[in-house]
Amino acid sequence: MDRDLLRQSLSCHGPTLLSLLRSEQQDNPHFRGLLGPAADTARGAPPLLARKERRGDNIEIQKFISRKADLLFALSWKQNAPTVSEINEENEDYYAIMPPLEQFMDVPSVDRRELFFRDVERGDVVIGRISSIREFGFFMVLICLGSGIIRDISHLEITALCPLRDVPSHSNHGDPLSYYQTGDLIRAGIKDIDRYHEKLVVSLYSSSLPPHLSEMKLGVISSEDLPLHYRRSIELNSNSSESYENVLQHSMGFMNPGGVEFLLGKLGISESNPPSLMRGLQRTNFSEEDFAFTLRKKQSASWALKCVKIGVDYFKVGRHVDAMNEYNKALEIDKQNVEALVARGALYATKGSLNKAIEDFEVALETCPTHRNARKYLCQTLVERGGQLEEEEKLLNAESYYKKALTLDETFKEAEDALSKLHKHMQKSLELREKQAEKEEKQKSKKIETSAEKLRKLLKEEKRLKKKRKRSTSSSSSASSADQVVSSSSSSSSSGHKKHKKRKRNRSESSRNSKRHSSKASSHPPDQNRKEESYLLPANTSASFLNQKQEMEKLLENQGRVKEREKSNIQSSSSAEIPDNFGGRSEDSRDFYNSSRIQASSSKIEKPFKPDRYFSSRRDFSGSFSRNSDEKIKNFNRKFEKGVEGRKEHYRKWEPGSMRYSTSPAGLDCSWKSVEKSKKYANTGLHGFNRNDEEQRSQLNTNQKKESENREENYGDEIEDLEEDALNGKEQSESNVKKNLPQNLLTIFNQIAEFEKEKGNKQKN
Amino acid sequence: MEFLQFIIPLSTIKEGHLVSEAKVHFKVTRFIMEAGVKLGMQSIPIATACTIYHKFFCETKLDAYDPYLIAMSAIYLAGKVEEQHLRTRDIINVSHRYLNPKSEPLELDSWFWELRDSIVQCELLMLRVLHFRVSFQHPHKYLLHYLISLKNWMNRHSWERTPVSLVAWALLRDSYHGVLCLRYPAPHIAVAVLYLALQCYGVEVPADSEAEKPWWQVFSEDLTKPVIDNIVSDLIQIYTMDTEIP
Repeated sequence: MDRDLLRQSLSCHGPTLLSLLRSEQQDNPHFRGLLGPAADTARGAPPLLARKERRGDNIEIQKFISRKADLLFALSWKQNAPTVSEINEENEDYYAIMPPLEQFMDVPSVDRRELFFRDVERGDVVIGRISSIREFGFFMVLICLGSGIIRDISHLEITALCPLRDVPSHSNHGDPLSYYQTGDLIRAGIKDIDRYHEKLVVSLYSSSLPPHLSEMKLGVISSEDLPLHYRRSIELNSNSSESYENVLQHSMGFMNPGGVEFLLGKLGISESNPPSLMRGLQRTNFSEEDFAFTLRKKQSASWALKCVKIGVDYFKVGRHVDAMNEYNKALEIDKQNVEALVARGALYATKGSLNKAIEDFEVALETCPTHRNARKYLCQTLVERGGQLEEEEKLLNAESYYKKALTLDETFKEAEDALSKLHKHMQKSLELREKQAEKEEKQKSKKIETSAEKLRKLLKEEKRLKKKRKRSTSSSSSASSADQVVSSSSSSSSSGHKKHKKRKRNRSESSRNSKRHSSKASSHPPDQNRKEESYLLPANTSASFLNQKQEMEKLLENQGRVKEREKSNIQSSSSAEIPDNFGGRSEDSRDFYNSSRIQASSSKIEKPFKPDRYFSSRRDFSGSFSRNSDEKIKNFNRKFEKGVEGRKEHYRKWEPGSMRYSTSPAGLDCSWKSVEKSKKYANTGLHGFNRNDEEQRSQLNTNQKKESENREENYGDEIEDLEEDALNGKEQSESNVKKNLPQNLLTIFNQIAEFEKEKGNKQKN
Repeated sequence: MEFLQFIIPLSTIKEGHLVSEAKVHFKVTRFIMEAGVKLGMQSIPIATACTIYHKFFCETKLDAYDPYLIAMSAIYLAGKVEEQHLRTRDIINVSHRYLNPKSEPLELDSWFWELRDSIVQCELLMLRVLHFRVSFQHPHKYLLHYLISLKNWMNRHSWERTPVSLVAWALLRDSYHGVLCLRYPAPHIAVAVLYLALQCYGVEVPADSEAEKPWWQVFSEDLTKPVIDNIVSDLIQIYTMDTEIP
């Protein structure tokens, strides 16, 4: 019980209230202690008799008070009345801002003055006019208040002093007071009050104001800044017959329907927890369950459940569409209904939309983590989805699904089995890749040793192929024969005819591509030959160039070797380690996939090989595009980027080459881009390749699709040129070789190119 | 009238003519107030609902209609009038639970739809009885403005110490259990409520005796002290029924 309030009430009403209280509240433990000492205050009653008499009819009220005393004087009221921060927004729109009450009451000035000095506090904002300026500060006559309480003081002639130190200076030197003049309207904050002597000290610094008012501008203001209540007060003065009611009803803010809410906030009254003096209406008596919101939720849940039941019946009978309708209806009624979500998830899973099913189960589990069925179904669906992904070779994804299923339900045997199976699968594939990488390395080494022999063989085979091609250009058999030639360079086996078939299978498409390249190469117009030369230039790094130099010379001697080089390029291991300029393209591409994760290879991919690899990979891509993983592509890209830089350097070195080179890019760009758009992959492109560079490129591009686009952006012109190299097959190898060779070898290359041209022409014939 | 069995036991209705009508109205308005809080209604829509209810039964006899149904329709109508729209489903849920404590929410069956229909029909009936005059000037806005003006005049510390605003608001809300709203104009009720609140705590308006006009006169020109006293005593009377009704 609040003693102070009680005391106040008692002193107002006198001893009768006390006795009434005693009788009414005798059972109330809170009052026993209080009423005792209250008797003392009752002795102070005689001086209050005057007041009490005035309220003679108070008995009823006193009875009321005594009856409701436990509510009236409860401490809980204080909690309900928070002190609202007083930002005096003179916002007429929210409510009617009235002139001060005392003005209507016509309180005598003496009392107003007295009350003003009683009630004013430090930090209040006052507004006044400067009356005089002295050397120690200025005096101002207050005309109204700007915050806190609103009083009518304009006629009270209250002056306040603003000392010099509280006047901020407006210029760097000189007297800050010089800024001000007599008659200026000033807004200031009260700094100090001497209530007894009725003296005020104000300040123009905002530090004198409380924090919530710190934005208020102190100092000189204009008459527009005068608060609304003051303006209304002036109006009232001139028209003293206006009643409060009239002013109230005629002001705009009074009409505002939102005014009630605003004022409730200002006064600290809550609508959600409304006060009442009725015993039955005390908020504590209300149970949360009886509230409309709770009841609605419960009702929705039970309605939704009904729909779900009907839906499940439909589902059992097989009427899936009807079942889905019922579930959706249920979810409309109650969005978070667990049963409906689980049932719908099960329906999705049965129909095959596993992702949707997983979503539904997850939402259901969020809402109700203990739902057994939801958990069970979710695990099953996750495993199923994992299985699907595994088939698509998205092994990492599948793994994450299995793991998720396991974390949800550790005892889920199927998930464990599937996960272990997957791991085995992954391991196997890793092992396979490693083996292949090893093989390729072996091959490379072998190639280096027997490259000359291989080249000779390859050249011979090519000749045979060309003859066959004349007979049947479109047949893949020619390709196969070419493949055989080419496949000899496949990395998986040492160059040799025996392995041709294997490689053929592995690289059928790549070999086709290479074949196309070779055929294309043969049909190249002269300028392309030049391009070839230029392409060859940047292909290899200087390092590889050094290694390959000898071999290059051998190759140059023998045209066939060029082809072999091509093959060897194709063959060259996917591992980037190959210093050989015979970067196996096709092989590279595939091995790139497999070994994309093999960090060594990726890091070692050397620049000269990149373009080749790029192209070979593209060829492979055409064949095994579906298996490309994004990771691998990215690896490729990265490697290529490295290669680009290297190539660039080479380009710079080989200026003559680059000159020629520059002639081609434009054409290549166009063709390349057009190719990408066309996106047709077809083995029948062989024809096109033979005849039309663009078509070839287009086919290649289609094979590569996204990769090519990425690469194009990454690599720019140079790559395109290099791509042409790849297209040109032989020329590529040549170009690679050429790039590494010193300029004096360029002539040799040119010869070779011409030879190729002749061959191509022969083929056409 | 078949809904009666779900609303009030028939015996109480038979006794209706013995028990003063005021008590029934008190009970039903108590229902309106409580349902209003549970429905999240603001003070003014609740006040409108009560006013509609009281007005309706001034025009008609109590035994002609089921008071609870009228109350539910009054709530529904008041929500529309005061722009705080309520759904009939919520009103039915809360009312059903109030009258049948701890019961499960109603099933969405024909009974439910019939109940809902009856509310809507009743709403139209009430509108016609009241001649479609269903928007009222409530004392609430006046009271709030008076409180602001008074707050500025009083010492801020004593104001913070004394929950005058809260008690005045509580008194005003509770006044709708009776027919004060129909008998006196809004500003008068507001002043009277404020007067009583100040009385409860023994708060004196500063310089009231020295002023030309007492504060309550300022707020309402045509108000007189006897009127205030009347209102106050009526209000207190309403509270007495609180203790009597079980």
